Amino acid sequence: MPTEAGTKLPATPREHLSSPVTRATLKVQHEILAAAREHLANVGCTEVLLPVIGPVTDPGARGAKQVDVDYYGHRYKLMTSAILYKQATLTMFDRIYTIAPNVRLEPLETANTSRHLAEFHQIDVELAGASREEAMSVAEGTVRHVVRRVTERAPAELEILGRDTGAFADLLTGAGFERRTHAAAVADLRDIGYEQDPGVEIEWTGEALLSDKASNAFFLTDYPKGSRGFYDKENRENPGYLRNFDLLAPEGYGELASGGEREHDYATIIARMRETGENPAKYGWYLAMARDGIPASAGFGLGLERLTRYVAGLDSAWQATAYPKVPGVVAP
Amino acid sequence: MSALRAETFPEAEVRQRARLGEGAVFPERSGYGHALYGADPGHVATDELDAARVVPPVFMPERLEQLVEVAREPLHTDVDLTTAIGGFRSALPYYLSAFGSTQVASVDLGVAASRQAGALGIPMVVGENVVPVDGYGRLTDAGGRGLLDRIRAYTQPVPDELGGVVVQQSTEDADAEVWNLVYSDPSALPLLDSGRLAFELKVGQGAKPGLGGMTVVGRETASRLAGQFAIQRIYGEDDENVLRCASPGTFTDEILRQQIHLMRNNYPRARVWVKLPPGRDIGRAARVAWKAGADAVTVDGAEGGTGWAPLAFLSGVGLPLAECLRRIGEPEGCLLVSGRIWEGLRAVKCLAAGATATGLGRAALIAVDEDPEQGLARLVAALALETRMLISAVGKYRPGALSHDDIWLPGGWAGSEVSVPVEGAHR
Repeated sequence: MPTEAGTKLPATPREHLSSPVTRATLKVQHEILAAAREHLANVGCTEVLLPVIGPVTDPGARGAKQVDVDYYGHRYKLMTSAILYKQATLTMFDRIYTIAPNVRLEPLETANTSRHLAEFHQIDVELAGASREEAMSVAEGTVRHVVRRVTERAPAELEILGRDTGAFADLLTGAGFERRTHAAAVADLRDIGYEQDPGVEIEWTGEALLSDKASNAFFLTDYPKGSRGFYDKENRENPGYLRNFDLLAPEGYGELASGGEREHDYATIIARMRETGENPAKYGWYLAMARDGIPASAGFGLGLERLTRYVAGLDSAWQATAYPKVPGVVAP
Repeated sequence: MSALRAETFPEAEVRQRARLGEGAVFPERSGYGHALYGADPGHVATDELDAARVVPPVFMPERLEQLVEVAREPLHTDVDLTTAIGGFRSALPYYLSAFGSTQVASVDLGVAASRQAGALGIPMVVGENVVPVDGYGRLTDAGGRGLLDRIRAYTQPVPDELGGVVVQQSTEDADAEVWNLVYSDPSALPLLDSGRLAFELKVGQGAKPGLGGMTVVGRETASRLAGQFAIQRIYGEDDENVLRCASPGTFTDEILRQQIHLMRNNYPRARVWVKLPPGRDIGRAARVAWKAGADAVTVDGAEGGTGWAPLAFLSGVGLPLAECLRRIGEPEGCLLVSGRIWEGLRAVKCLAAGATATGLGRAALIAVDEDPEQGLARLVAALALETRMLISAVGKYRPGALSHDDIWLPGGWAGSEVSVPVEGAHR
């Protein structure tokens, strides 16, 4: 169970790197990565390394600023997520994953959420022709495999970190992760007196409340349109809602992953870009690919530092990185 | 005073008020006691709002209420002008409109206007394009006129709990991520913490409805902006200036609704304002915006705008403000209007026609050009005095109490848009 205040930031990089907690955490993270690669290879995914900079990136990050890069006089962006490249890469391989470094200059209010970093990594998966349910199943399988492997291979590190491995019991028994709609989650929150706006993303404190009550990881599905990027597919049977999901960890650790089915129809992508306030002109290369056809797909991005935080039982996501960049905090 | 000119605007009168303040509300002082006054029969109304008249009744039940409240006959000084504007608390029912990106506003006038608006405790809208053209002022020096400089000039003198800063973004400057930039910047924290930051989605503008931003820029600037904007060499291939054109962006009711939802989702601590052009479906567009959760809808009448626009658009495109107000009918949320407003009569007519507050655009620019220290403050003092006198004349004591009964429109009020149901629920 993470403490509310989180842990104090290290004074220097040396203090952080030489801490036994950091060392044990990054050993756990090493096992997480190995296990994730193992599982994703088993389900037929090919690892592809995707760009770090490009003319456009994922605009779907809530309130976060993208970082501009002067690329020979052209304004390029550091990737906030690999989504556009993931979709495009499916014209080569049917099932892919990448370990993607992402940079988002998050709003300063996220500095105290214990789970936002300006620089982080995602285990990013995309599956051609897959439904949301298949993507959720792969996400669930990955998390379960990761937790099992870490408990098998890094018991000493978990001991140093004081992680109560009994808390993984429900997750490891193989009972499927519960699926709950966004609307149901809003109703649950309102029942316990939390004023959640039904038209928007579940707020961070709301997510923590839901996660707190759970003993196993669970999915929230069907977010309202207007809460996510243009690439999350709208439900044709239930307009105004998306065929997407978030995966939340139990014990108050909150969101681990976001994913869903993707829009791949060119005209729909353009209309959705406008609905999210984007200027289609800057997405030239991506739209050209979409116009010629990209596969229907579903996928997800699993936050590596957040997953590490949950598995290692840390107070804050920044503890799961060797060189933490907490929003607004100047650090190497 | 600079070379700023506004030939299609009562510039001399605005400059006089910027110098004299409240004294300019009355005829020339030297004539007092000698000259005979009356309505000017030579006055030609420039538009329907100008032709409208504020019409006090004989019987005033609300004045009686005020009399009971203060236990003496009420005066215009009893009018409380404090107004809730788009989620902010404003000292007066006015706000500073965005100036756009023309050279006019790019010099120090923008910063001077920001400072005075802050001191007055009225909200300030900072135009789209300030960031793409003048920069933000964070890593690079924006010559003291970037967005940050405007915000700093405003926040320094602004009284606690009054006013607010509204940052505009349009489709064309989505590339510059103005909102994301402001929302994640340390300098915006005090505004966010005190609930005084709003983002305004610019759907269009009064000066050229249906068109995007247009500016004349040097060839060098043009080559820098070429990736973002269309560049036309309207003055010839060899001329050093070119026309830079942007798209206003494509909107449908679903696109507008979802953009507002996204703003509320992505910037939960900021207020959401929407600026609409004077389109023929203005009533429906305003209702879509309010239902999607906009804290304010700003309507720029076709007579508004500081910017440069094709002559055809200046003379004959878009609905006049009075017709916009008629089509909107009874507003379902906070309605803000602008367009040739510089004195109390037009402002009060707008308030009676449904507006919550009125914007000062060209008038504010001219006033700060006349006197960068006090010009806007004096113009607003005159405006406030007139507003108080006019509101009390109809027997009311706050702007929100004004109603259609308080003005007489020669064309009447009938003709508001047929009410088409708008999807979505008010938040």
